[in-house]
Amino acid sequence: MKEEVNPKMLIAGTISLLCAIIFFGGFAKDWWGGIFDFGKLTGQFPEWLKTAGGSSAKGGFLFAVTLIPSVMLALGFVAIFEHYGALAAASKWLSPILKPLMGIPGVCSISLIASTQSTDAGSSTTKFLYNERKITHKELLIFSAFQFSAGALLTNFLSSFAPLLQVSDQSGAVAPVSIAMCLGIIFIFKIFGANLMRLYVKKFVKDDEETV
Amino acid sequence: MSGNETKLVTDIFVEGARKGWNIAIHSTVPNVLMAFVIIYILNTSGLLKFIGEYIGFIMAPLGLPGESIAVFLAAFLSWGGAAGVLVALVQEGTLNAQHIAILLPGMALVGSTVQYMGRVLGVLGIPGKHYPALFGICLINAYLAMLLMRFIV
Repeated sequence: MKEEVNPKMLIAGTISLLCAIIFFGGFAKDWWGGIFDFGKLTGQFPEWLKTAGGSSAKGGFLFAVTLIPSVMLALGFVAIFEHYGALAAASKWLSPILKPLMGIPGVCSISLIASTQSTDAGSSTTKFLYNERKITHKELLIFSAFQFSAGALLTNFLSSFAPLLQVSDQSGAVAPVSIAMCLGIIFIFKIFGANLMRLYVKKFVKDDEETV
Repeated sequence: MSGNETKLVTDIFVEGARKGWNIAIHSTVPNVLMAFVIIYILNTSGLLKFIGEYIGFIMAPLGLPGESIAVFLAAFLSWGGAAGVLVALVQEGTLNAQHIAILLPGMALVGSTVQYMGRVLGVLGIPGKHYPALFGICLINAYLAMLLMRFIV
């Protein structure tokens, strides 16, 4: 990811980010027949395809296969939003508030956004920041708590959990939450967890721990 | 993201969808299959009921049946496995749509932490003595998130 974001890219990226929130948030369900809504675009299997009710390996296989279209659709759209700079814009907006929000410096924002897509990208870029002395040992500990809880949030949620929001229970009801709402709540608790770590670091970690 | 302005939006979508296909085939399908088999074994042997009765009380304040603890425990190992366990229990009628909404954020916040011990904490070089605190934070995060969901949905 590039460090610099010019104003034009920032505007495009911010619009793209807002589109992503609307798309995954279910806000546009009732506009234009839902063509801007993830749930609606996922569509339906034909009536004759019975996917529920199997058991053990065969039941699991059949069910897993029915999840594939929504995973492909979700990651296809994420690629588009990312291409137009949604994540770069998110990182730009986050950068000035990271210090008050979690006690880690603004340079972490790119790593932070990367970590929502891939734990490996997140941890390797963070290690780089640490090796370059851009973050301290204590900041590293706080940041690790953020990355550790709900790691690779975006990719994991969209590929494993998002399809579950369309699974109906025995009474035919589906979960009363949207993808964006779940992601938002999880993200808030990731920040909350980082702050718990901030308290822990303040109380229990000595200033010279890394050299011992 | 840079230097590919000439790419068509359809190409970008297809590339992303292909990534989705790979994740689904290599991770979702085997994980969900395994989870269904495990739930089948736990269920048929009566172990699931046993677990639900004896340690399931932890889930009661969240408005969840005791058996749902199986979903939560599976989440520590993998996101995909937890999803499979959840669906297996929904199909059996043990869990309903409301339970799905409560459980998802909690499952996410402890998601795959057993794997991420190596891939996140190991790579970052976090001293082992801090691992209990980091796992504890994930647990607190998950429990509070589910409690919050209980009141939202």
